[in-house]
Amino acid sequence: MTTEPGPDREPRPAAGGVPYLAYLKSLGLVAVVTVLGRTVLSRVHPINLVMFYLLVVVISSLSWGRGPAVLAAAAGVLAFDFFLIPPFLSLAVHDVEFVITFAALLAVALAIGTLTARLREQAVVARRREAETAALLAFSRRMLGARQWEEIVAAAVQHLGESFGREVVVLLPEKGHLTIAASTGRFKLDDREMAAAVWTFAQGRPAGRGEATLPGVRGLYLPLQTARSIIGVLAVRGSDAPPLTAEERHLLEAFTAQVAVAMERAQLYEEARQVQVLAEADRLRQAILGAISHDLRTPLASIIGSLSTLTGEGTRLDDRTRGDLIETAREEAQRLNQLVGNLLDISRLESGTLKLASDWYDLRDAVATALERKAPQLQAHPVRTALPDDLPLLQMDYVLIVQVLVNLLENAAKYSPPGGEIEVRARDTGQAVEVAVLDRGQGVPAGEWDRVFEKFYHVGGKRAVGGTGLGLAICRGIVELHRGSIWLRPREGGGTVVTFRLPLGRAAEAGESGGGQQRRG
Amino acid sequence: MAGSSDGAESERRQVLVVDDERPIRRFLRAALTAAGHDVLEAGSVAEALAICPTARPDALILDLGLPDGDGLEVIRRLREWSAIPIIILSVRGQETDKIAALDAGADDYLTKPFGAGELLARLRAALRRVKVEPSASVLTFGPTVIDLAGHRVTVNSQEIHLTTTEFALLRVLAQHQDRVLTHRQLLRLVWGPNYETETHLLQVNISNLRRKVEPEPLHPRLIVTEPGVGYRLRSAGV
Repeated sequence: MTTEPGPDREPRPAAGGVPYLAYLKSLGLVAVVTVLGRTVLSRVHPINLVMFYLLVVVISSLSWGRGPAVLAAAAGVLAFDFFLIPPFLSLAVHDVEFVITFAALLAVALAIGTLTARLREQAVVARRREAETAALLAFSRRMLGARQWEEIVAAAVQHLGESFGREVVVLLPEKGHLTIAASTGRFKLDDREMAAAVWTFAQGRPAGRGEATLPGVRGLYLPLQTARSIIGVLAVRGSDAPPLTAEERHLLEAFTAQVAVAMERAQLYEEARQVQVLAEADRLRQAILGAISHDLRTPLASIIGSLSTLTGEGTRLDDRTRGDLIETAREEAQRLNQLVGNLLDISRLESGTLKLASDWYDLRDAVATALERKAPQLQAHPVRTALPDDLPLLQMDYVLIVQVLVNLLENAAKYSPPGGEIEVRARDTGQAVEVAVLDRGQGVPAGEWDRVFEKFYHVGGKRAVGGTGLGLAICRGIVELHRGSIWLRPREGGGTVVTFRLPLGRAAEAGESGGGQQRRG
Repeated sequence: MAGSSDGAESERRQVLVVDDERPIRRFLRAALTAAGHDVLEAGSVAEALAICPTARPDALILDLGLPDGDGLEVIRRLREWSAIPIIILSVRGQETDKIAALDAGADDYLTKPFGAGELLARLRAALRRVKVEPSASVLTFGPTVIDLAGHRVTVNSQEIHLTTTEFALLRVLAQHQDRVLTHRQLLRLVWGPNYETETHLLQVNISNLRRKVEPEPLHPRLIVTEPGVGYRLRSAGV
């Protein structure tokens, strides 16, 4: 909370200006000087006391303003004459020269009084300006700190509400209508008020109380205007407060301009950020296209090479070579097919267009399908499974989970030595089912355990083993679509364990109660 | 060997191939001709619907992604007056389309890219359907023998105890041997039309059935999963 005084923190003047007390005080000072004068009258010539009355006038004007100063001047002259100039207790004078003194005293007193009063007024104004500037600075700092427009308007209404002691509301356009974006609470807009707000927004000029347009309306509506456009309306209403003074109005407009600027800044910041995001995405896309281009062209080169050799040299080749070439073309085509599939998968996952075709499925069925599909690659690797019989049914997209298992098995086979055993384990943790694929391969260095799940990532940065590095990224995408998680850890005794976790739905109950079928343990 | 074998698969058939891609038609023609069949070609829904009533092919191989309409449309129109075996071609990731086509009356499906071996096997299975003797009561699939009338199943001559539901499931699969049945179709045929969405029932029973009937439940040879679509009972040689 800032502590700078607002424009109306000073005591409000009574009707007529300065409080009555001030007049009394200046009279008091005159009295004091008169009394002092009486006491030293025997030793000091009365003419010397003139300065003291001037002093009283200066003090009065500096402390209380012009009115009390004028009173002090007049009262001073009268008191001087009455009490300190013979004949005492009479306004008549023996020495006519004193009349000049009186006139001079009065004139100088009034002049000094007026000048010092002006000085004082200027000082008051200067202090007020200073307070306003401090308030503006504090407000502006607060606006600067806010990044989102919601913060800005909320801070604005709160700050302005406190500073001006009134209800404040900010209206912003939403879907073609002005709606309240922030308010200090009790400001409700009826049709008339809303009409004023709408007018202000459309015309970009103030309306409402104290204005030329719609003066009968209770609130004052100011446009939030930037160099580019009108972005909203700020409204102020004091239920029983008098209308704003010119200075207050000026200050309010300054604040309003701050709010508008802050909002424009927030908007521009957001636009800049978007541009940056797009630029980054573009850069990434270029890099990916480069990698993909290479990965697609390599098998194609083999295919075209093999087939063109067959067509060109066909008759000159022996059967075995011909067979090899055809087989090469077929294998490379399969590889290309898989690559294309991976690219489509990752693309769909990234763009969020992949929708789960979820239903109750048996995980062991999925494992069996994955093992079947990878049978050729797994020929060199004995596979062990540890899948409990009472594993509950899971809500999952069968095809996608098979894909996950296929990718994990592929990795296990790729990175395992020939004859290296591969294991698939599953367990029910109560909340979820955890499936792990284990191998005795070369393992993944520490520090890369999470990075392997990134797109196009190859362990150790090498592309030696072939493949695009998308397999694990696809696994993660699919598992996360199922609200699960996947992680990689080294295996005790060497190798790698990749585990993924699929949360259980209501599968457990459904499996047991389904149609009265028994599940044998 | 397949049950109720009658040499149907070695007859010369007329097969209509419907695909808008010339290279696909070319390769299908080559494979089918090599297997001893005659081939007709069509490149659109309109052409297919025009050829069928006049030429009356014995089987139809239909691509789902035709330019001038839905393959589904062809299936529905044909099924109004014909029981011709239909095998659909689709791409990966279009499971819902495949299921819709199968539920609408297609007999089987192939996912592009596929090999000639798969194609011919599924064609054989689909053609066999037309000739199955309605009174066949004993079906044999390798070591597994299903006695429909006696409600008995033996594997390697040892009797296996199945619940009523499990037996019904096996029977339905066997009667559609080598052809795919969608989840929905299986649920409807075994449990009834009100159970078409109770997939967990199916999963549990398939799982139990496999455990009893398959020598290696984790490497199913007889009851094969068609991912995302359904199940198929596979006789040897398919």
